[in-house]
Amino acid sequence: MNTTTRTSPVSRRGFLLGASALGTSGLLAGCLGSEEAPEESGTEQTGTDETSSEPSGPVTLQNSQSDPAPREALETLIGDYPGDAEINTVAIEQFRAQLSTYLTSANPPDVLTWYAGSVARDYAAEGLLLDVSDMWEGEGACANFSDALRELSSAEDGSQIFVPTNYYWWSIFYKKSAFEEWGVSAPETWEDFLALCEDLKGRGVNPLANGIGSTPWMASGWFDYLNLRINGAQYHRELLAGEHAFTDPEVEAVLEEYTKLIPYFDPDMASYSYQEAVTPMVQNESAMYLIGAFVTQFFPEDQRDDLDFFSVPPINPDVPSAEEAPTDGYFAASGTDNPEGTKELLAYLASAESQQTFIEISGSSNLPTHPDVDTSGFSPLVQKGIELLNSTEEITQFFNRDSSDALQATADDALTRFLADPSDIPGILEGWQAAAERVWDQ
Amino acid sequence: MTAPATAERPTSRWARAFRRVPWVVWVFLLVPLAVEAFWVFWPAMNSFSLSFTRWNGVGAAEPVGLGNYQDLMSDPTFQTALRNNVIWVIGFGGLSVVIGLALAVLLNRPGRGIGLYRAAIYLPMVFSLAVTGLFWRVLYSPDGLVNFSLDSLGLGALERQWLADPDVALYAVLVAAVWRQVGYIMVLYLAGLKGVDPALEEAAAMDGANRWQRFTRIVMPQLRSVNAVVFAVTVIDSLRTFDIVWAMTRGGPYNSTHLLSTYMFEQGFTLVNLGYGSAIAVVIFALAIVFIISYLVRSIRQEDAS
Repeated sequence: MNTTTRTSPVSRRGFLLGASALGTSGLLAGCLGSEEAPEESGTEQTGTDETSSEPSGPVTLQNSQSDPAPREALETLIGDYPGDAEINTVAIEQFRAQLSTYLTSANPPDVLTWYAGSVARDYAAEGLLLDVSDMWEGEGACANFSDALRELSSAEDGSQIFVPTNYYWWSIFYKKSAFEEWGVSAPETWEDFLALCEDLKGRGVNPLANGIGSTPWMASGWFDYLNLRINGAQYHRELLAGEHAFTDPEVEAVLEEYTKLIPYFDPDMASYSYQEAVTPMVQNESAMYLIGAFVTQFFPEDQRDDLDFFSVPPINPDVPSAEEAPTDGYFAASGTDNPEGTKELLAYLASAESQQTFIEISGSSNLPTHPDVDTSGFSPLVQKGIELLNSTEEITQFFNRDSSDALQATADDALTRFLADPSDIPGILEGWQAAAERVWDQ
Repeated sequence: MTAPATAERPTSRWARAFRRVPWVVWVFLLVPLAVEAFWVFWPAMNSFSLSFTRWNGVGAAEPVGLGNYQDLMSDPTFQTALRNNVIWVIGFGGLSVVIGLALAVLLNRPGRGIGLYRAAIYLPMVFSLAVTGLFWRVLYSPDGLVNFSLDSLGLGALERQWLADPDVALYAVLVAAVWRQVGYIMVLYLAGLKGVDPALEEAAAMDGANRWQRFTRIVMPQLRSVNAVVFAVTVIDSLRTFDIVWAMTRGGPYNSTHLLSTYMFEQGFTLVNLGYGSAIAVVIFALAIVFIISYLVRSIRQEDAS
């Protein structure tokens, strides 16, 4: 009796202690494990490095292209890669928020999808991006890319830190069949364009589609273009870099021109996302849409060949022609422990064959950056897009890519406010400038 | 001899009581405390110190002292968010409690199909707030059911873009949130009403009290403990509201529907202003702690009084 009463609490204590110790260590290990899971490949790599000089661990590609078609395209490319590589796809919002964490971590992903321009330049200035200048010289994969792309992919110190693989253009898209039905044609001048809007409105059609509800950044499309047409690309870039104020008379002139367009927009645009705004256009209730070429994927398949576009007509004859062409591609983390393998993967992704495969599978109307890609098989719409960008004098990207996501947030607030009530332009611009100054001070 | 003994006894008793606690209990107390401290308190303290810096997640955080808090004072969006939070606490709390209580009283009687009604009203609670948000977004869309119903009732003049009109967007989201919360409050009150002694009400009826008097003088005082729970739940729920606003408007149109929580998320995680976002988080924490402490003080006083 005595022995049992004495031993049983002891054994229970021992059991509980053991269980609790196991439980907590398991918990801790679980937490640590889940934090390190994405970098496992990196640790494997360092392990093999010690035994052989050839780094043989897989090179990781951190992918933000989470839409089904582009994702499939990249997974196919990585699957076909002759070397050892793996892909890790993250939803774009999360990717954006964690990008700096990826780049600063001890074992960063080797290659990451992202945008050329100011964002890449900012990370390069922090020393977080791998210098890929050698890929832009001699026999390098990017050596024959255009000078505009080289400029776009360069850091402030002149070295290249980005590998662009495709880009797309912005323009005013419309349906040829609808224009035929209404007996109208694409306008050549700004006056013609305004007259066309007036004409279409008279027929009970919304002349301009837009979706600034859950995607308020769409309001910047027209802002960018009006600024490019009125004040020119040079001024536009300087404005976004903080060298001019949003309260300038130049910007006021842009919003005054923008005011003329407000009655022509779909009255429901504030409730739509940019995808939803396509629906009235499919049903011929809206006529024209200033948007990137990615819009084609939102039309039903049998209407895609019916799509055509024209560039925003010139307003101020004294400024050079300019188009928006956001460029996508890859950069690599400077913290990679396998720079050679990383550059090999970058070169593979930048090759003409890979670009062609990506564009075909992803189904968007993106353009290749490699001059050797055979574009003859691409649709007439894409051919026209290539022609447009080849003939323009200046290329910008888009508001957020030419500045920062933080400045984009100030534009979203100011421009959607302005579109809802354009009566107080100076007041809106003052608020915008104050918000922008907070961003530039950060 | 007795004096020193009494002075010493409490400490030695404490010490003995201390020693009498089995060490396994200490393990059970200290290990969770260590885990909690490492995974909860330490990150929380970090966000306090982060709120005095400017940091985008890369490189070293730059200390700015109270700079973030000064910026908050002059930030129009923060002021909108603060005002919206006040509207939210009052509107969300007030409406869901009043409607929930009314439904509970109405449905607290035997009858055919009463269970069905109760289940139907509780049903929205089953969905996550994000699903509720998406569901109501469809209802509120320009050619959605809300506008369609108004139109067919001949009230076309009231049609609007519910989530795109800054005058009504916050209230449109509020309605969706209340729609979901009402069932929960109703269930809490139904449980409370089961504990109300019917004999008291009958006695009051015999004395000539009308229905309203019986409700306010007899039933409500007996619901005091439920009221305390409902108050705490409602205040905490309304301060932590995030998902339904994010799902329905993301703080738009032009930042007019931001709550402190959504604005913090946008600053901290979309724009990666970790210092500024942390400063907003500290403000939310301060507000919550004021409510919770005043609630605790009140309930302790009540306990002492009774």
